Amino acid sequence: MMAAGQMHNRDSFLNDLAKSFGRERRRQVKKPEWTYRPQWDVLKGASQDELAEALKKQCSLIHTDVYETAASELGGLVKDLVQQYGGQSVVMWDDPRMDEFGLSSLPDELTKEQVAVHIWDSGKREENLSFSSTADIGITFSDAALAESGTVVLYNGKEKGRAVSLLPAIYFAIIPKSVIVPRMTQVAKQLHLKIEAGELVPSCVNFISGPSNSADIEMNLIVGVHGPVKAAYILVDDK
Amino acid sequence: MKVSLFVTCLIDIFQTDVGMDTVELLERLGCEVEFPEKQTCCGQPAYNSGYVDKAKDSMKHMIRVFEQADYVVTPSGSCATMLKEYPHILKDETEWEARAQALANKTYELTQFIVEVLGIEDVGAKLKGTATYHTSCHMTRLLGVKEAPLKLLSHVEGLEMKPLPHNYNCCGFGGTFSVKMTPISEQMVDEKVQSVEEAGADILIGADCGCLMNIGGRIDRKGKPIKVMHIASVLNSR
Amino acid sequence: MAMKIGDKPFKERVSDGINDAFMRGAVASAQGRFRSGRLNAAEELGNWEEWRKLGEEIRSHTIENLDYYLELLSENVIKRGGHVFFAKTAEEANEYITKVVKEKNGKKVVKSKSMVTEEINMNEALERAGCEVIESDLGEWILQVDDHDPPSHIVTPALHKNKEQIRDVFKEKLGYDKTEKPEELALFAREKLREEFLQADIGITGCNFAIAESGTISLVTNEGNARMVTTIPKTQITVMGMERIVPTWEEMEVLVSLLTRAAVGQKLTSYITALTGPRQEGEADGPEEFHLVIVDNGRSNILGTAFQSILHCIRCAACINVCPVYRHVGGHSYGSIYPGPVGAVLTPLLGGYDEYKELPYASTLCAACTEACPVKIPLHEHLLRHRQEIVEKEGKAPVFENLSMKAFSLGTASPAMYNIGSKLAPTALGFFSADDKISKGPGPLKNWTDIRDFPAPKKNRFRDLYKKRQKGGEE
Repeated sequence: MMAAGQMHNRDSFLNDLAKSFGRERRRQVKKPEWTYRPQWDVLKGASQDELAEALKKQCSLIHTDVYETAASELGGLVKDLVQQYGGQSVVMWDDPRMDEFGLSSLPDELTKEQVAVHIWDSGKREENLSFSSTADIGITFSDAALAESGTVVLYNGKEKGRAVSLLPAIYFAIIPKSVIVPRMTQVAKQLHLKIEAGELVPSCVNFISGPSNSADIEMNLIVGVHGPVKAAYILVDDK
Repeated sequence: MKVSLFVTCLIDIFQTDVGMDTVELLERLGCEVEFPEKQTCCGQPAYNSGYVDKAKDSMKHMIRVFEQADYVVTPSGSCATMLKEYPHILKDETEWEARAQALANKTYELTQFIVEVLGIEDVGAKLKGTATYHTSCHMTRLLGVKEAPLKLLSHVEGLEMKPLPHNYNCCGFGGTFSVKMTPISEQMVDEKVQSVEEAGADILIGADCGCLMNIGGRIDRKGKPIKVMHIASVLNSR
Repeated sequence: MAMKIGDKPFKERVSDGINDAFMRGAVASAQGRFRSGRLNAAEELGNWEEWRKLGEEIRSHTIENLDYYLELLSENVIKRGGHVFFAKTAEEANEYITKVVKEKNGKKVVKSKSMVTEEINMNEALERAGCEVIESDLGEWILQVDDHDPPSHIVTPALHKNKEQIRDVFKEKLGYDKTEKPEELALFAREKLREEFLQADIGITGCNFAIAESGTISLVTNEGNARMVTTIPKTQITVMGMERIVPTWEEMEVLVSLLTRAAVGQKLTSYITALTGPRQEGEADGPEEFHLVIVDNGRSNILGTAFQSILHCIRCAACINVCPVYRHVGGHSYGSIYPGPVGAVLTPLLGGYDEYKELPYASTLCAACTEACPVKIPLHEHLLRHRQEIVEKEGKAPVFENLSMKAFSLGTASPAMYNIGSKLAPTALGFFSADDKISKGPGPLKNWTDIRDFPAPKKNRFRDLYKKRQKGGEE
């Protein structure tokens, strides 16, 4: 556990707020039950297959390529896609799911094809960042996925660097079909319950929906600004 | 059915024909129309300029004038909206709030009254021409009356209705805005006149005299061959 | 740049805006796209009104209990090893931020988009302390490269510029030699800024929603710059207006859904980044040190007043995107980094009526803003309320208006006076009318007749005609 940080000026600041309200400081507040809950109606009762379909449909709107495969074919597909997207260098999380999904030999196989491969090493900040910054492709698993918005959710951490999904020019997310939920609502609820149970949330949770983009120049959509310029999702049937 | 007419100050002074058309129309639809002579103005000019206290004086006067009415009907979406706002504005004056609420509850904009209360969509009007309809902001956004005028207009014999492009745009009237922020108002009304031209209509119909005076005044100034009509006059054409 | 932009008086700013044909074209076409995007997104959801009501309920509860939720937030931030500084004023905030940067010996600061850092003029404070501050949002960067041109929109700050202007700015200032194609301009920015991200010591971000229950801050972006700013530099400072907070992740989720739909019609932006504290032990990227600066800067004066709900604003710009006045005058006319309806409400509250008394009048009260607001802030009612304050509490209304409103009140509260006044109207105005139109009116009517005709009052009022008709009927 980390040492606690420092707090400055809190009491005088909050006392002033209470004064503006014309009441005492509130020390206990019970969050009400909200009158409306429309967020729970989106894709309500959809099966995993229906969720996968919804996700695919949304991806076509957000410039994201989607590939589907059975778990047994995953290794071959990822290797092919690396070549298809012209990847000369690849950075990946150091993720136990690599073994689970039969990807343990992928780094060696890519190396054989003259692709430079870097596996995230939590002890080596500079190396991780400099490799990632020039890498062609970053690959991560998705910890959850949101059907409605075509979003992958990453719980970043020690072996799961933030930079892998950010610095390379192309980003691949591997999505086990079982992690797809209707929308952000379900993930937020899960995290909320974890916090209530006293667990720590990851220091960085990313909700990523396709490649980076901008509409800052004359409202024209430009795909690819600071983050990846291309994104592809690989849906894996893991049932 | 007995109806008390709130004619609005603009119609009383400037657009008297619209007032007479409203009376004739309502009578033709079987209403007994009375005009409480002590009525003045809904108070909006003062209220919208920030003179709330002064507006309250005329509001209270209007509450008294219409206290005995069964229905208050007015050929203006904006003034109807203002009457509906009374309870909100007078919420700190308990006695007046209740009386204001009673007035608000029985107040209707003309087309709303015909469609919702009388249940009539075809008033038997005839008018030859190609027209477009200006959806005024207060009537659509605040009063929430969107369909009634279009339903009524769709049944006017001989009248071809064209959609108004960007109909959601404000015409730039805004009461005192039109004289306080004239350069901006000018751009807005020009945009509206352009939309009316794009609609390809030779008649512009509206349900608020404020908007119509603004758009019509600009159309006249620019010498455009477009006739401006209040919906009461259209519906009273035979 | 502080909240105030430009030195010209309101009328001149408006006239500059109206005469800037390119800006108006750009704004009109952007508004069209924003509008259809928002409406499509709302329609797709189906029950948009329920969503708005939920948004309103959440914002209203949170702001009503702001002291409680800020305490909870700050407690959770320090538990995770972050530092929290509560800044009553802009000066206090800048002083703290500058101190942190100096302690870290920071030379290069990269920023992601943040309105509150503009409001407190943070960049200038850091530059005075010898730091280089680099904006990394594409729009903000364009403005920064163009000698700090002020933003004209809170979501797309460079909305007033066209691609040719941007090409020329890049060419002149940075030796850019490619075309005005947006993709090429963006690629150039990507390459330039990538170097800066990798070298920066300090990252500074704004905050869309802080989550009290876990001490998390969330950032809603499309370009990925906010992720850069919070992944590479060793120190992260996040600056938030004190109202940018929600109780739990569940409310964050709802408000993000409202924000992205209302702002740009997206279901979600490309990146929603939720950061809790500095990086944890053993993690290789993310900041070693995290500071959260919570800024009041005049906001607490709004609490407990009739204007409180303006603090519910989630900065989506939906009101700006539908405002017809904004469309014609552009963002710079408002003289504030907060333009449009939200700006016309918020700016006078933060900056005072002396400087900004015209803004509440720059509206027809058409209520397009109120209708568009995803958290149901009654924006046009707040504009009215401002007018009321200006007239009744501040006594700042023009003398002529004051007199005419007195006359109005006399004339409309008493039927006898109304009778006399309305009867006199044709005589009083008759002098100016030709046929049934007035084309050169007196007094305030002159402003009307400058651009449009005015109907001459009728010799017989409606009430006179009505009376005649009734008599006729009796006969």
